[in-house]
Formats: sequence, structure tokens, C-alpha cells
Amino acid sequence: MANDNTKNRKAILVTPEVCIGCRACQVACKSWNQLPGIKTKNNGTYQNPPDLASAAFNIIRYSEVPSEKNPVRWLFVSRRCMHCDDAGCMKICPAPGALYRTKEGAVAFDRDKCIGCKLCVNACPFDVPRYDADGKVTKCHLCFDRIGAGMQPACVKTCPTGALRFGDRAELVSTAKKDGFGTIYGEEDLGGLGTVYAFKEEPKLYGMTDDPAIPSSVVFWHTVLKPFAVAGLGGVVAAAAIHYLAVGPHKEEEEV
Amino acid sequence: MTEMVRKSSGDEILNHWVLAVSCILLIISGYGFLFQTEAIGSLFGGFNTMKTVHNWVGVVFILSLLFSMRHSFKDALEYDEDDRQWFKVAGGYLSHKVKVPPMGKYNPGQKLYYLAILGAGIAIALSGFAIWLVQGNQTLILISHLVHNVSFCIFIIAVPVHIYLSTLANPGTFQIMVNGTLPLEVAKKRYPKWMKAAGKM
Ligand code: HEM
Ligand code: SF4
Ligand code: SF4
Ligand code: SF4
Repeated sequence: MANDNTKNRKAILVTPEVCIGCRACQVACKSWNQLPGIKTKNNGTYQNPPDLASAAFNIIRYSEVPSEKNPVRWLFVSRRCMHCDDAGCMKICPAPGALYRTKEGAVAFDRDKCIGCKLCVNACPFDVPRYDADGKVTKCHLCFDRIGAGMQPACVKTCPTGALRFGDRAELVSTAKKDGFGTIYGEEDLGGLGTVYAFKEEPKLYGMTDDPAIPSSVVFWHTVLKPFAVAGLGGVVAAAAIHYLAVGPHKEEEEV
Repeated sequence: MTEMVRKSSGDEILNHWVLAVSCILLIISGYGFLFQTEAIGSLFGGFNTMKTVHNWVGVVFILSLLFSMRHSFKDALEYDEDDRQWFKVAGGYLSHKVKVPPMGKYNPGQKLYYLAILGAGIAIALSGFAIWLVQGNQTLILISHLVHNVSFCIFIIAVPVHIYLSTLANPGTFQIMVNGTLPLEVAKKRYPKWMKAAGKM
């Protein structure tokens, strides 16, 4: 389901291998989007805040995995909206314009148009959208305001290691392959993600979702129920009109 | 002067109008959500207002639907041999030539319609409340979203049929929802068993 922008589609390439977990990206995002700090508790990991939140559009997920050489291996991966080409959030949203596609292929949101029904979070394969204090949607918007003006996303600009790179999606993917990354997570999933990940190891090791998909009930609703509702309404209206002309209204006299 | 018989009581008529208006408002606004129809949104003054209206009219709708059980539930559960025969001639809806068996106050088509609306109405209300009020339970919300939309399909097909049959297709019927009465002579023809039970025939 490639959209019209596939050709000049922009993307962020995450290379977790070179991420040092400094979280400058988290700070840059907060600063650009003027998001407040969040009070959190120490829960035994450096991952903080523990999850995406209305004031945290991106987080570094820290996972500790067993290792032979060291007591433990520490893996860092940037988690944020994937800007799916086939986006579950956009599919289910009942309010036009609340979630929209930018010309760069990003999925941005319009706070004023969101009606706060919270359906999108349930249709997102990556559990991304969050709600602010007024119940309005918030999430990473690929810095649509910056990239529209020819700048890099704030998180990318600040990343000191190149773990986050922004650019032409097709170029980013082919460079990563040339650099020897065997798995490009998100290359094909959901029509191709706008946040792609370059891995040499199993993405699962880094806590990535296997085979992400829009919930099947949402797909069924979109492809079957919606057309059925229109056809059903059209069908009964047509049937009533035909009945009226062919059979006509009930007449008392005809009754025996 | 023609003698009239009362088919619907005052509270029944009032409740039917509350039910009908709320249901139609919900169908229209629901259709606007389903297809992100800007024109329907503007009708309600924007999608934000439309959501508030949809949610609260939903409350009115379910209360009215539950109240309607007082008038319609018992009848809707009782079917006899004539009712079974009624289906064989498709209620006489498809041709005026067939002989329709004698009916009571409501024909089986109407009774089944009531049960369908009652079932789909309770389902759409419960699922609607879940989508509206529950947070952080993805399975419940996705099931509710599906149930809400399946019930919507039932409504969008059944309600227009009901409206057509009670207006254009059967002249004189609409009046029952205005003043609750119809001429005795008509009632004797349409609902002979009910009239017999009432001692009018
Ligand atoms: C107690 C009754 C009801 C409640 C509480 C309710 C609530 C909701 C909610 C919360 C939504 C999600 C969008 C929003 O937040 O507005 C919704 C959507 C919708 N409703 Fe209802 N509703 C009720 C009854 C109905 C009825 C009677 C119909 C039609 C006969 C209907 C049709 C729809 C449709 C088609 C949608 C959009 C589909 C979707 O995007 O899920 N609703 N309703
Ligand atoms: S990751 Fe979720 S919120 Fe982001 S575009 Fe995809 S479905 Fe939408
Ligand atoms: S919460 Fe807002 S953005 Fe999400 S589906 Fe509802 S209206 Fe759309
Ligand atoms: S692209 Fe922008 S909004 Fe998205 S995580 Fe980076 S800084 Fe935040």
C-alpha cells in the first residue's frame, strides 16, 4: 500500500548498534516541542521515563541481555512513532484531519481536530499514541515543522553518534545494507515504516515487535464493514423505492 | 363520526419519539465518524461537539430503549401459528394479492424488528460506553469497536425499512405515532385477533 509520497519519502534510520544511550535525543525532542519534565521513580533501570508519554515522544529502551564475555550486554534502541505507510492510527481515527500525512510521508497530528476518542492507540501496532491532560493525541510527528523547512528533526540533529539519521528513505535503506546490516526492520512492514532500524542481530533481541500488524478486527472493519454499511443503506433505500413503484402502498380494500 | 381505537398510549408515543430522534441523531453522527464526513461534522458544529452530542444522546437512546420494553417486550416474545404462516406469504408485503393470516396487535415482522433493535441497541450502547469511558484495555476496546460497528450495520439497514413501512408503504400507520389512535374499521381489518381479544369484534 505505497502512498503517493513513496518516491520522495523521508525517514529516520536508527542504528541501535552505535547508540550509546546518552538520551540527548529525548532532551532535544522535549526542548523543540516544549514538553514538560515527567516525575518518575527509579525502577531499577536507566530507562527513563519508563515508557512513551504525552510529554515523551521518544525514549531509549534499555534492555539487558545475557552475554558470554561480560556479565551482561546492554542494548539501546530508540522508540518513537514509526510513521507507518499503512497506519492503523489513521485508519481508525473518526475525526478528519486529526491525524494526517505530510508530503514527506510523516504521520502528524492536529490537536484541535482530535476529539479525544483514544481509538488510535488501540489500532497502533506499536503502542505509540499518548494523550495529554485534555485527552488529545500526542506523539512523535517526525518534526514535520522542521523538516518542512529543510531542517533535520531535533532528535537527529542532536545525536552525537549517527545512531539517528534522517534523509531520503530509499537512500538510508540502501546505505545501511551496503554497510553490512543484514536486517532492515520496517523495510516492508505495514507498507514500509518511516522509522527504519538497521540491525546485524535479531531485532527481537532489542525488544522489537515481530511481524507488526494492524489488529485484524480493524482491518475487517475497514475492508468489509464500512463498505457493507454503505451498500446496506443504499440497498434498503433502493429496495423501498422499487417496492413503492412495483407493489405500491397497502390498500385496505384489497384485504379479504 | 368514525369510532377510533387507541393503539398506543401517551407515554409510549412520547418515548417512541425520544427513541426515534436520538437514534437518528446517533446514526447520522455515527456515519459522520465512520466516514470522516466533514459535511456531517459541520452540521453538528464540528467533530468535537459531534462527539459530545453522540456520547450523551447515546445515554438518552439507551434509557429510552430500555423504557420501551415496558410497552413492547412481552408482545415481541409471543408467536403463534398465524405468525408462522405470515412468513410464508412474506407478510403480504410483496404482493397485495396473497391472503395474509389474521394478525394480533403486531405482526411477527414488527416483533422481530423490535427484538433486533433491542439486541443491537443494547450491544451498541454497551460497546459505545466502553469506547467512551474505558482506557488501557486494548482487547476490550477493539471488541467494542467491532461490536459498535456491526450493530451499526444492523441499524442502518433495519431503521430505514421500519420508517418506510410505517409511513409510505402503509398509509395511516404514521398517525398512530402522532395521536395513538386509528379508526375501528381499519383496526378490525388489520388486527382482527387483537380486536377480538378486546371485545370489539
Ligand atoms: C449508548 C449509545 C452510544 C454510545 C455511548 C456511543 C459512543 C460512541 C463512541 C465513543 C464512538 C467513538 C467516536 C466518539 O468518541 O464519538 C462512537 C462511534 C460511532 N458510533 Fe456510537 N455510541 C452509541 C450509540 C450509537 C448508535 C445508536 C449508533 C448508530 C445507530 C452509533 C454509531 C456509531 C458509529 C457508526 C461510530 C463511528 C465508527 C467508529 O469510528 O467506531 N453509535 N460511538
Ligand atoms: S507507529 Fe502507530 S502512531 Fe505511528 S504511524 Fe504507525 S500506527 Fe500511527
Ligand atoms: S484520539 Fe484523536 S487522533 Fe486518536 S483516533 Fe481519536 S480523534 Fe483520532
Ligand atoms: S522527530 Fe521530532 S517529534 Fe519525533 S522524536 Fe525526534 S524530535 Fe521528537
